[in-house]
Amino acid sequence: MKIIGAVLIVLSLVVAIVPMFTDCQSQGRAIVLENGKTIPMKCHWSGVAELVVAIPLFVLGVMDIINRNLLVFRYLSILGIVLGIFIILIPTNLIGVCISPEMLCSSVMRPILILAGIFVVVANLAGVWISFKSQNKPV
Amino acid sequence: MNLTRLALRNIAGSAFRSWVVAICAFLVAGFAIAILLILRGTENSLHLAIDRLGADIIVVPEGTATKVETALLMGNPTQVWMPRSNLEKVSAIQGVVAASPQLYLSTLNNASCCTVASMFLVAYDPETDFTIEPWLNRTIGRGLNLGEAVGGTHVFVPEGEQNIKIYGYFVTLKANIEPTGTGLDQSMFITFDTARDIARLSTKLAEKPLIIPENSISAVLVRLEPGADPMTVSADIIRQVPGVTPITSPNMFQAYRQQMNGLLASVLMVLGITLILSGLLIGLVFSMAANERRRELGVLRAMGATRNFVLRSLLLEASLLALEGGLAGISFAVLVIFLFRDLIMRSFGFPFLLPNPGLLLVEILVGLALALASVIIAAMVPAYRISHLEPALAMRE
Repeated sequence: MKIIGAVLIVLSLVVAIVPMFTDCQSQGRAIVLENGKTIPMKCHWSGVAELVVAIPLFVLGVMDIINRNLLVFRYLSILGIVLGIFIILIPTNLIGVCISPEMLCSSVMRPILILAGIFVVVANLAGVWISFKSQNKPV
Repeated sequence: MNLTRLALRNIAGSAFRSWVVAICAFLVAGFAIAILLILRGTENSLHLAIDRLGADIIVVPEGTATKVETALLMGNPTQVWMPRSNLEKVSAIQGVVAASPQLYLSTLNNASCCTVASMFLVAYDPETDFTIEPWLNRTIGRGLNLGEAVGGTHVFVPEGEQNIKIYGYFVTLKANIEPTGTGLDQSMFITFDTARDIARLSTKLAEKPLIIPENSISAVLVRLEPGADPMTVSADIIRQVPGVTPITSPNMFQAYRQQMNGLLASVLMVLGITLILSGLLIGLVFSMAANERRRELGVLRAMGATRNFVLRSLLLEASLLALEGGLAGISFAVLVIFLFRDLIMRSFGFPFLLPNPGLLLVEILVGLALALASVIIAAMVPAYRISHLEPALAMRE
């Protein structure tokens, strides 16, 4: 449980921090409107949404470390799976990133977030499996 | 207790040994599949690009072959020029059945009059073209009109807009060509008339005009008669048309192929080192395990298990660990290459296209077979040695 919690904390930091340095806003790119004003591209909003998911994932990781109840651990892991799925869906389906493969958000930010999301899902699936396997053992 | 159950119990019973063997299999299979995928993906991409170009020979101005190949392969725009009269000279050469001119142009960088910066633009002559027009006829049922374009798979109309702006001129994107993994995916194809119209209006609409020199072309695409030898025709072109370089399709992208061969040598060396180190480590771990388990295996033999049964149980244990680690390594390598393919392509500077599912499955099986073979070979000697010990001797020691 402690190892899974630590892994989730690291992954939540990756999910929160990577978009800050790889979205188009961080590269000085923005949409220029007719009136000359600039607005961020959608990869920036994907980054913001990922931050919103990363915060509960971080808390979940901390709870995995301090928690000693198997049933709570199982429910936390199920919640973690849902968060992992959202981490994958935000840059791919829900909001997306810029289309051009030459942009950093498309070639770096999206793959890292998908990979991190897959790891979050796998770690939490392992958590659910461990919780069932250790059901009759003292924690 | 049957063989599989015994092997599974042994795996669960020795976590450290199992992890070491599985990690070795993970590394071997992961490396092997990554190397196979990248090399096959690059080769696949080069072949597809040559097929898509559809010409037996491309004639370019002398000394610009590498520039043109880089433009076609990586989408880095280039502008090269030669006299239009070369087209007639090339057409007249024996063995040439069709010759079509092309103009290589580029959009502006950091200019509000171009929505796409530094894009490679290829203008073709619809009357003589034999590469894009047939594809267009199959796809949209007609050729391109004035102001229309087809783009590579990564060419798109910016969000919230209807057209792509080039030198202040609005071009309508009619279709996208299937991916090739090369610069063609980021290139746009227009007709000569559209290119000239853009050039004419760019003096008023663009920050910088598009200049197409009079009576000049960038390249001539050549199709040969069936049975004609590209090398002979190429030699005739060099003799009869001064100031040009013909690139035959088998020799196309030679510089990249040489670069790839260099890379292949290095990665094969890394794979070889990984294989040797993994083999040694697995051999060592199994030797240690064999010594640790002498008594246990001696008891097994004393209870009636044959030498063959003990040998098979040890090899099955190794195979299961190899499969587990190998599958994990392959899944990880395929996932990383799939997700980071654009970054890999740009970082290494060569084209890349993932293979079709059938070929991918073959490559996965090759990676898995390599992991299995390396683990079984490494485990064979200690497994054989311990399975052939006399039970009494094994239990006493």
